[in-house]
Amino acid sequence: MVDQLPNLGREAEMLSAMGYTSMDDLFSDVPVDVRMEEDLPLRGPQTEEEIIADARRLLGANVPLGSMASFIGAGLYRNHVPAAVFQLVTRGEFLTAYTPYQAEVSQGMLQAMWEFQGLISELVGLPVANLSVYDGSSAAAEAITCAVRVHGRKATQKGVVYVSELVPPDRWSVIHNYTQGGGIELRKLRHLEDGTLDPASVAEAAGACAVYVEQPNPLGLLDASLTGVKDTVGEHTAFIVGVNPVSLGLYEAPGHYGADIVVGEGQPFGSPMTAGGPIYGIFACSKAYMRQMPGRIVGRTIDEDEQTAYCLTLSTREQHIRRHRATSNLCTNETLIALMGAMHMSLLGPEGVRSLAVRNAAALHAVVRALDAVDGVEHVHPDGHHFNEIAVRLPGPASACIEALEDHGVLPGFDLGRWSPDRANQLLVTATDQTRPEDIERLATALQAWCAEVVA
Amino acid sequence: MNNLWDHTGAKGAGYAQPAPMVPESELRLATPLLRASAQRWPRLSEPEMVRHYTNLSRRNFGIDTGFYPLGSCTMKHNPRVNEVIAQMPGICDVHPHQPEHHLQGLLSIFHEMQHMLAVCAGMDEVTLQPVAGAQGEFTAVRCIQEYFRERGESQRTRIVVPDSAHGTNPASAAMAGFEIVEVPSTEDGRIDLEALAAVLDDTIAAMMITNPNTLGLFETDIAAAAELVHGVGGQMYYDGANFNAIIGRTSPGLMGFDAVHYNLHKTFSQPHGGGGPGSGPIGVKAHLAPFLPGPVVDVRAAEDGERTVEAGRWFHWREPEHSIGKVQQWHGNAGAVLRCWAFYRRYGRDLRTMSEHAVLNANYLRHAIHREAKDAGVDHLFVDGARTDVAKHEFTLSMQPAKEALGVTAMDIAKGLLDMGYMAPTVYFPLVVPECLMIEPTETEAKDTLDQFAKDFVAVVGTDPETLHAAPVTTPVRRVDEVYAARNLCLRVPEEDL
Repeated sequence: MVDQLPNLGREAEMLSAMGYTSMDDLFSDVPVDVRMEEDLPLRGPQTEEEIIADARRLLGANVPLGSMASFIGAGLYRNHVPAAVFQLVTRGEFLTAYTPYQAEVSQGMLQAMWEFQGLISELVGLPVANLSVYDGSSAAAEAITCAVRVHGRKATQKGVVYVSELVPPDRWSVIHNYTQGGGIELRKLRHLEDGTLDPASVAEAAGACAVYVEQPNPLGLLDASLTGVKDTVGEHTAFIVGVNPVSLGLYEAPGHYGADIVVGEGQPFGSPMTAGGPIYGIFACSKAYMRQMPGRIVGRTIDEDEQTAYCLTLSTREQHIRRHRATSNLCTNETLIALMGAMHMSLLGPEGVRSLAVRNAAALHAVVRALDAVDGVEHVHPDGHHFNEIAVRLPGPASACIEALEDHGVLPGFDLGRWSPDRANQLLVTATDQTRPEDIERLATALQAWCAEVVA
Repeated sequence: MNNLWDHTGAKGAGYAQPAPMVPESELRLATPLLRASAQRWPRLSEPEMVRHYTNLSRRNFGIDTGFYPLGSCTMKHNPRVNEVIAQMPGICDVHPHQPEHHLQGLLSIFHEMQHMLAVCAGMDEVTLQPVAGAQGEFTAVRCIQEYFRERGESQRTRIVVPDSAHGTNPASAAMAGFEIVEVPSTEDGRIDLEALAAVLDDTIAAMMITNPNTLGLFETDIAAAAELVHGVGGQMYYDGANFNAIIGRTSPGLMGFDAVHYNLHKTFSQPHGGGGPGSGPIGVKAHLAPFLPGPVVDVRAAEDGERTVEAGRWFHWREPEHSIGKVQQWHGNAGAVLRCWAFYRRYGRDLRTMSEHAVLNANYLRHAIHREAKDAGVDHLFVDGARTDVAKHEFTLSMQPAKEALGVTAMDIAKGLLDMGYMAPTVYFPLVVPECLMIEPTETEAKDTLDQFAKDFVAVVGTDPETLHAAPVTTPVRRVDEVYAARNLCLRVPEEDL
């Protein structure tokens, strides 16, 4: 503490300059009956060295995925963040700034965010992107409320939104919390046995305010039928697609097949998993939704000398101006993490992101090949095309498998029973660009042994 | 300066990566979905990229580059060790769905933070899940909503906010589906108990208020306000934006609040990052605890064979009984919570000293500005935003007299301060003070800095109006045309520049 407070020891001098004698004088306005008289019942202060030692001990007790053969993903993906990103993002000018209310001294971050908007816009194939929201889940939720504001009047199914039934319960819960106050009714958009959208369900959604579906879906499946959704649901129903942005290095941008709003978890670009946060949510849309978007947006403009400059714009949507009529309560967001994303994307370039997507696809391909050789492991969607992850059926509970394989240093995937009880025997196996060939061998060997034991 | 797309170099393969594990030709790709044309991204080599972002950073102002008195935002120094810790693999390379025995260290840090935040605010339980102050507000309002639904009091559809409240308060309550009742403040900027009593009935779910309020004043009638709201069965919600002023001196619990959010990026020094990430945990009294988003971290006696980080204690996730569910898909901004844990460890129970110094600095600066202004003969050009003997961690000044006398606005003063090498205070907030400047120095500014700022502030106030209207002139760009931006929307790189 003593190294953090520059005015320690100068209190008397400063107080006397104001005509006070004690710190208590500065708190004389706190009524006696609400004063805290005792010391806080907390530990004493530590030095930097002691804090580092404790952090090493505690964080050292966590098990980093790199120390195992890990195949867990389910929405967060192991990646490699280039060294330059970490070096640059801890520059104090970025790290210790706040929302660029004073544009003249915030051009660096404003320009970087304007560039981020351009990178995302190009990636997803839509003309407008904001400078990020909290995460992929709140992005999905905010997209739905945005769509309801835009289509509320003309939609024939008032306040109704269809959400893919494969959306994981935690994300569904976020969406529910964000939408329940607006009188929005969430209905399930059904999928067929093979994991693709049920065309009958899509037809039912015509005239609703929005449909929300993910590509690849939460089980890693790519669904070509999404290219026909917009034609089916029609002009007055927003087609919202949640993406894994890395997949777009290889696969079509949803904006090019009719998506009105594209959202997603930006994390694979620029951010480690970090136990689930801070990460950042992508939000992009077509012009019809622009004035109902949540969050901050940077525009390019000019200064008094007609030089190029940047500033926050479309601010009249926001809470500090519009208050309870704002499009969202969003204020503090994930700018710095989005900046890391922009840095990563600018290093990758179009060819680099394609290579990255191919590496992810190849790693999963290698995993699938290895799993195919394991007796007792079956594909849940044998005809499907997958990206990053695949659901497999085991001869016993996935939870038991995960527990058993730990002794072999293998975390074989995510227990899909946690999403749905009828999937208790299913494992979601994830591979990314960071998956190692030796990890795959260990997975196959350990799984083979476990399956043999279970079947016997 | 150049934007990313102005770099026309490197037409190669982009960032160099290892070869794919299986050749592309052998992959079974979803052919109908293959991308027809690559996104038109720029191509930069690493040297170009590093210089680009370094140059951008030089066009940005942070706490590290100068005094940042942005009221309401608590722009304090961010200890660097926190960044070092946050890059350890035990946090970076950890997945939230890993089993509890993989995460004992993280869970113990979460538990310690839940406990510390509960103690400081006088609350019973804390969740760390909300990732920003506004999300914390929304989460707490949702808990209150479900609490009343559970009790069969669904008629409570309205939430009271003072007219001086942060915009996020009404926005968050409206998102949860509440109707907003705005109550006026008294002439001296505090709660108007009569006006409050007049709007209270059994349709009120809660009152949302910050204390010290947005004028930097302690709400001396807060206990009476809480009694009024509780009297009609409503809940008291504490907006923790200004918590930096009071730790160890009083607490929302003592004042009668039922729920509170914390801005870890303000009070506990998570770097603001140019707009985020933040972290917005909430604390509640026991009656609201069953409704918190889950899971929260709990502790039990360790069983044989469990590898603990603390002797005999096993940390585990627990789902609150009537949980509203989730507001973030994972466990919140764990990386931010970790940084703030390191910050907390630096102070421990001396967080009280931290708050005292925040208040000391604010009052000292307020006095110094008035004293310097008097000496320079410009004290007629501004007045206190609210009459008070002592402020808390921040204070407001109204430039209304300067506007009337000289046509100089709060914005002109703000831009003049930029020319002096400072970040400007918050301007035009709270809305109840005309031509408002809101100044918050925080505890990490040295007396010398405060003295110099007082002199420079007064020099700016005394500057001739023409110069101020033309300010800033020393910044990377001159005054930015926001109207042009809104009328000529350019939200991404134009097609012709690709």
